[in-house]
Amino acid sequence: MARFFRRRKFCKFTAEGVKQIDYKDLDTLKAYVSETGKIVPSRITGTKAKYQRQLATAIKRARYLALLPYTDAHKR
Amino acid sequence: MRHYEIVFLVHPDQSEQVPAMIERYTASIEKDGGQVHRLEDWGRRQMAYSINKIHKAHYVLMNVECTLEALEELTTNFRYNDAVLRNMVVSMNEAVTGESPIAKSEKESRDRKKVSDRPRRERTEAPAEAATEAPAPAAEKPAAEGEE
Repeated sequence: MARFFRRRKFCKFTAEGVKQIDYKDLDTLKAYVSETGKIVPSRITGTKAKYQRQLATAIKRARYLALLPYTDAHKR
Repeated sequence: MRHYEIVFLVHPDQSEQVPAMIERYTASIEKDGGQVHRLEDWGRRQMAYSINKIHKAHYVLMNVECTLEALEELTTNFRYNDAVLRNMVVSMNEAVTGESPIAKSEKESRDRKKVSDRPRRERTEAPAEAATEAPAPAAEKPAAEGEE
């Protein structure tokens, strides 16, 4: 029987009671960005909508300051 | 007066100017009653992508409380200063004084570098001691396992 038991998704930010997601916290942000640099949708990560919105702005700010890449196709 | 968070990237060749720039900016902020709550110099960092064909930039973070006029002066300053590659101003609700995650990781990596330097020196200084000490713990270990 091909039934997968997926681990239950949970929102890390709700669990930790984060007040505001910081665009300078790169280790956290990197966990929510795909290998190609895209923001991972909340339906996959399980992030709550409130925090997904914060996360998106935080990642976009980090990208503007060249702390995170926009894509993996940046020329080195 | 409002709280702002300012980050600006300076051209790596103009890195020496950074302390003077910070001084000038803090002076202009404090001139009309503003205050600098947090000032962090992240130093030269590798950028995630190159800007103007430059791969590294000197990052400076400032959390300030200032008037709109002082902020406008600052942003026009950024615009006409060729050394500033990029700048971002975010309005904040309150004064932030804690250490930012980037500054923290920077400090840790610097400490790690120091730690990794130290054993290397010890190894070159005392190779004979290490040789005599090493077999002893190794001999103890199998005995301990045997007891269990």
